[in-house]
Amino acid sequence: MKYLHLIWAALRRRKARTILTFLSIVTAFFLFGALQTINAGIGSVMDFLNTSRLRVSSRVTLGQPLPYAHVARIAALPVTDAVTPIAFIAGTYQRPNNVQAVLGVDLTAMFKMYPEMHLPPGELASALRTRSAVVVGKVLADKYGWKIGDRIPIHAIGGITRADGSSDWVFDVAGIYDMDPHEYAANIMGQYDYINEARASGNGKDQVVQILVKIKDPSHSAQAAQLIDDTFANSPNQTQTMNEKDFITTILAQIGDISLVVNGVVAAVLLALLFLTANVMAQSVRERIPELAVLKTVGFSDGRVQWLVLIEALILSIAAAVVGLGLAALVIPVVIAAAQLQGVPALHVPPIVWGAGVLAAIVLALVSGVFPAQRARRLHVAEALSGR
Amino acid sequence: MAAVVTLKNVVKRYVRGKQRVEVLHKLDLSVESGEFLALMGPSGSGKTTLLNLIGGLDRPDEGEVTVAGERIDGLSSGQLAKWRARHVGFVFQFYNLLPVLSAERNVEVPLLLTNLSRAQRKRNVQAALELVGLADRAKHKPAELSGGQQQRVAIARALIADPTLLVCDEPTGDLDRESAEDILNLIKTLNQKQGKTIIMVTHDPRAAAYASRKLYVDKGVLVAEPERTAA
Repeated sequence: MKYLHLIWAALRRRKARTILTFLSIVTAFFLFGALQTINAGIGSVMDFLNTSRLRVSSRVTLGQPLPYAHVARIAALPVTDAVTPIAFIAGTYQRPNNVQAVLGVDLTAMFKMYPEMHLPPGELASALRTRSAVVVGKVLADKYGWKIGDRIPIHAIGGITRADGSSDWVFDVAGIYDMDPHEYAANIMGQYDYINEARASGNGKDQVVQILVKIKDPSHSAQAAQLIDDTFANSPNQTQTMNEKDFITTILAQIGDISLVVNGVVAAVLLALLFLTANVMAQSVRERIPELAVLKTVGFSDGRVQWLVLIEALILSIAAAVVGLGLAALVIPVVIAAAQLQGVPALHVPPIVWGAGVLAAIVLALVSGVFPAQRARRLHVAEALSGR
Repeated sequence: MAAVVTLKNVVKRYVRGKQRVEVLHKLDLSVESGEFLALMGPSGSGKTTLLNLIGGLDRPDEGEVTVAGERIDGLSSGQLAKWRARHVGFVFQFYNLLPVLSAERNVEVPLLLTNLSRAQRKRNVQAALELVGLADRAKHKPAELSGGQQQRVAIARALIADPTLLVCDEPTGDLDRESAEDILNLIKTLNQKQGKTIIMVTHDPRAAAYASRKLYVDKGVLVAEPERTAA
């Protein structure tokens, strides 16, 4: 590329302006990469969820507990294949900032419901033999160095106390599970019966925060959900049942249409960037009219000069976009790790976001560069040299 | 000698505001190969317009312009660009160097349009800079050079593609007397030793004295043609 030094020289002509424009584009594409990666991450979570698993919660609010007795009644329904209660202890491990929740479940039902969770043979049976046993995700086991046989103390927060008044719970690691995707293997699952018995009376005892149900026929999940809700229609604890996908969608909808917000923000940023870059390119060409005229004087054709301007815009835009996306790729995993979000998959900038980013950079360069490039193309040499 | 430049009945008009102004009126001119022609005349007389037509930077509204054996008045913009790259070297009053490029990179610019290898381009650039006496300033940017040195770089750039014709528009207009004499001597040497055909626009009679022939442009016509001096 023998013209590269000419383009490079044009970019260096006003170093401060080029650097500031470069940084603006880097920032915009960092935002683009980060937000689109989060969007893609939400999409991948949605892909993981399926319609054969139903979540039963209180019709009043998500946080309202349900009586444990509901579990047996759901288990007796003809549509049910497996069912587990969910109790929840929010706590910390060793340090206050190691927030770690413990789920109280029916381990047998849980592993039947989630075939994507893999537990080595014998570890489930071992866990079932010990009342204080927990099965921990490999992500957590690796993070804290836990191994089978370890005792892990969890200090409960949020007023969840044991019958003896203590907030300290001790569990025995009896199994370590992994799953696909690996990042989701980040839960501590103990036995509901043990947790329920050990907790103080009136402190969530004999209650569940949610009930998970695996149904026999996923194609009829809506009817199965309706049957469960109908079962408790005349109960003081009415239920709202949805399959996993609908459940998460409902939660996300309560927050807002994340995808729409994210795409809106990205579109606004790119639009602002388009105006900025177009202005910079126009200014740059305006300042270089005598130099562009000299290029034409020595024999550069109109088309060649036009392409030099366009390639200059392309190089600036694509290089900055790649740096911005690269920064997003570096920063997002660090932020996720620093936030210690359990069960959140490691977010990487997916190839489609890289592709879309580079494509957006090309469009940005072409749109912002087209008018300055046209101006350079139409430049009349004699007039430009005489300053007209 | 054969004519390198021939203009016949050339008319050039400009639109200024709502007025259409005829700058050159049915102008005829012939410049022979190896000639060093000075075009003189007052401001606004049409000297630079005439130079632009000869150099293929502009097209006449009427008449014929033949340079280096080719009619150029009918060529398209793209054809003219290619033609200029092959046949004409330009030297301007204000040098018109690219400020962020070094002297050698500035001189190399016309060669970027050729198929020469990078090594060959480098050799040619070195030779051109040696010819104008600036080989030791090859890496310097224009801002690091004096006016005279910048004009020498511009001359090296004009010569690098070995053009048929060198057109110079007030090449000493921005220089002190000593630098101006250096540049004029260099241009004269190029004419005498290398046989370059040179057309120079100037206000300055001292500069014009270096030429082998002088022509006066006044109000768009060649008003007098003094006798040739010994080249």
